[in-house]
Amino acid sequence: MAKTLILHDLPQSEAEALLSNLWAGCTVFSASPAVHPCIGCFGCWIKTPGKCVIDDRGAGFLTLLPAQDEVVLLSRMVFGGVSPDIKAVLDRSIGFMLPYFCDRQGEMHHARRFDAAPRFRYVFYGPDITPEEKATAQKLAAANALNFGAERWSVQFYQSAQAGAEALA
Amino acid sequence: MKIAFINGSPKPAESASEIIINALQARVGQGADSITCNAIKQSRAEIMESLAGSPALVLVFPLYVDGIPSHLLRLLDGIQADIAGAAAPGAKLYAVVNNGFYEGRQNGIALEMLQNFCARAGLAWAGGLGVGSGGMVFAAPIGHGPMKNLGKALDALAANIRGGTAAGTCSVEPNFPKFLYTAAVHLGWRLQAKRNGLKPRDIKTSR
Repeated sequence: MAKTLILHDLPQSEAEALLSNLWAGCTVFSASPAVHPCIGCFGCWIKTPGKCVIDDRGAGFLTLLPAQDEVVLLSRMVFGGVSPDIKAVLDRSIGFMLPYFCDRQGEMHHARRFDAAPRFRYVFYGPDITPEEKATAQKLAAANALNFGAERWSVQFYQSAQAGAEALA
Repeated sequence: MKIAFINGSPKPAESASEIIINALQARVGQGADSITCNAIKQSRAEIMESLAGSPALVLVFPLYVDGIPSHLLRLLDGIQADIAGAAAPGAKLYAVVNNGFYEGRQNGIALEMLQNFCARAGLAWAGGLGVGSGGMVFAAPIGHGPMKNLGKALDALAANIRGGTAAGTCSVEPNFPKFLYTAAVHLGWRLQAKRNGLKPRDIKTSR
């Protein structure tokens, strides 16, 4: 059975209501309450390679990533990207890649630490997502996939967290 | 004219963003009433107070996972409803985003997010600059040698900020070959790892 990791930014009460029956067997990682932001130390590359040096639960997402077939990001849409809570987790996870550069599609990116990468599925929600924000989000997902070494990704938009969560059932 | 700079680096000191802000302030000139805020060190209220009445806001930050660092994104998300009322009427937002990849164009998505922020916040998006190989600002003074292109780009941006005109969106790479930049950065990682007691092969661990 494919392994799926769900990263979401729902408050605990909402998560319990929306996610309890949907993803039995999947791993759920809550970005809320917010984890400590990345401090830009590069410790995950040159001090404890592959692990974030900040000792809080935010370091856990990176340790879960390598075993996954799919990562689902259920996020409030913010300016064409993920929410601050989700972003804090992603910023803490760059140790998934190596610090070394490689060439992909004629651009500089980070080389893979692991042989394979999960596919990324972005599920954005918000009551008034604009066409411009949707366009930015599509570019972001493609760039994130390229930078995390993922070959497949998808992007979906919903008007509410509930609709986004139901679409994953 | 008041110009409010916001340093969006999460590093407490010695950030590329700080160096770029200093270079921009020198180019904007003595006549400007320039103020610098720091998104990691200051509260939202302190930053809003600093921005009050400013017709020009200048965000300078590093690219994190193709976007805005989370602490800065949280600030922007939190002030979107109030910032237009606090800044001067018709206030413009400029930005400089720097990344570690060679190509400055990889900062384009973060700049687009700021444009989307402006649309929500009621600010005028005045464009910005994507700086490739941003870490090289530590290697040479801006405006000289490998940082000559960046110096010219900041000259143009400073003129637009001073004049209150839109800058458009552009990107810049160093006057330095990509293969040498790559070799220098790779050597730098190995040296830093060694200082932490690691062997070069430890960097690639996948355990």
